[in-house]
Amino acid sequence: MLDIFLDILGTTGKKFINFVANIGHFIIFFGSAIYWAFKPPWYFKKIFQQILDIGYFSLPVVGLTTFFSGMVLALQTYNGFTDFNSESTVARIVLTSITRELGPVLTGLMVAGRIGAKMAAEIATMRVTEQIDALGTLGTRPMQYLIAPKIIASLVCIPLLVLIGNTIGILGGYVIAIYKLNFNPSLYLYATMEYLQLIDIIQGTVKAAIFGLIISMVSCYFGYNASKGAEGVGFATTSSVVISSVMILTSTYIITALFFG
Amino acid sequence: MDKRNNKKVIIKVSDLSKSFNNNIVLKNINFQLLEGESLAIIGASGSGKSVLLKNIIGILEPDKGSIVINDTEMVNLPRNLKEKLLLDLGITFQHGALFDSLKNWENIIFKTANKEKTNNKQGKQLAFSIIKQLGLQPEILDLYPSEISGGMQKRVAIARAICGNPKILLFDEPTSGLDPVTGSLIDQLIKTAVKTIGGSAITITHDMASVCRIADKVILIDKQTISWTGTPKEMFNSANKKIQEFIKPIDSEIFF
Repeated sequence: MLDIFLDILGTTGKKFINFVANIGHFIIFFGSAIYWAFKPPWYFKKIFQQILDIGYFSLPVVGLTTFFSGMVLALQTYNGFTDFNSESTVARIVLTSITRELGPVLTGLMVAGRIGAKMAAEIATMRVTEQIDALGTLGTRPMQYLIAPKIIASLVCIPLLVLIGNTIGILGGYVIAIYKLNFNPSLYLYATMEYLQLIDIIQGTVKAAIFGLIISMVSCYFGYNASKGAEGVGFATTSSVVISSVMILTSTYIITALFFG
Repeated sequence: MDKRNNKKVIIKVSDLSKSFNNNIVLKNINFQLLEGESLAIIGASGSGKSVLLKNIIGILEPDKGSIVINDTEMVNLPRNLKEKLLLDLGITFQHGALFDSLKNWENIIFKTANKEKTNNKQGKQLAFSIIKQLGLQPEILDLYPSEISGGMQKRVAIARAICGNPKILLFDEPTSGLDPVTGSLIDQLIKTAVKTIGGSAITITHDMASVCRIADKVILIDKQTISWTGTPKEMFNSANKKIQEFIKPIDSEIFF
């Protein structure tokens, strides 16, 4: 009986120590990545490639997601509030929901799935095929050459994607409100502009920047520390998407609470 | 300086040990590489040859021991100094380790381009001047590593290692996966690099024909330690059982 208890205690203890060690490694990785992101020389070609990949090529998926979310939101809000004769609140709810939560969160989740997985898989493959080791022997720091451009590009692109996504989401709500619910376009636009708050945009942009940091850091961390060949690449990819998504959903609450709590 | 022949010691490994999770891979390894010398390290798969190479280039830190390259102790050397030291080395990895996202010519001149600005035309010219020694066609320069065969990738990796004429060359199985003609070409290249530019080379290989062609000295790693050292000629007269196992296939080839 005592042996079983000690076994359970030992296994739990080992897992806890591993967990704490991983957090420690992540913090060191985070600090190092930030340091190299701000230290010259910057690999502008790599940064531009990442900006294109994260920003430009994510536009269709982000646009589509936020557009349909805006449409659904307008429709559901109208259905929910129609009994109270509150059609005028549709514009306000669409605007607030998109700018404060749905725009940043949906963009974050989409980018985590599309770009986070790609970053993790790319870096993990480089790790298991010794390309990262080779970089170090060719006078190039892997953190500066591989990781820093991804961090910089994520910090630049995801806030911009969120701003574009927000606009498209509000447009989605507008399309439903005008063409399906037969609202007056001028009144809808007036209500939208009236309720547009600078703090909502600031909060959404702050969230986006933090999500950008989360996605790039988590993906690069799992990729950089991958091992065991193809299995390790798969593990890094899955872990990066799952952990990024959980962190996005957790941090969105914390940021909202800080701004509006 | 080596007292016996007045040659400079390029790499000196002393009492090096390395283990992973209590599994001892290398124990008390001692050897030195002299200026202008070509050293071959042989041993069974999993005997720790690549681990030894990774310790020498600082990718792995030994548990104990010392590695001196050009009079500089590598163990615990600050990273920036280690990187500077590594710039004098030309290294190929077991599986090539070419960068997937770069074209072959960009891979070849990667280190040189980091040191000095080169435009595309100059870079391609430099890469071409190297690959023609390796029997590669200029058409491969604009392709990505994934678009050429494994043997070609190996040669591009060797081209990357010798670009800039480094004085110390470290090759991890440079001829594995290559046909005998290309393998012989690579051996010739290693020999030329050592003899003509006065470089020194360490080559990890299983190819005993290659050992005979390129090596001045051979080291056998067995059971975590160096179990035999000698010249290729001495190798064929050695009574060491492990050495005999290694050279047996060559003997058979000679008889048939």
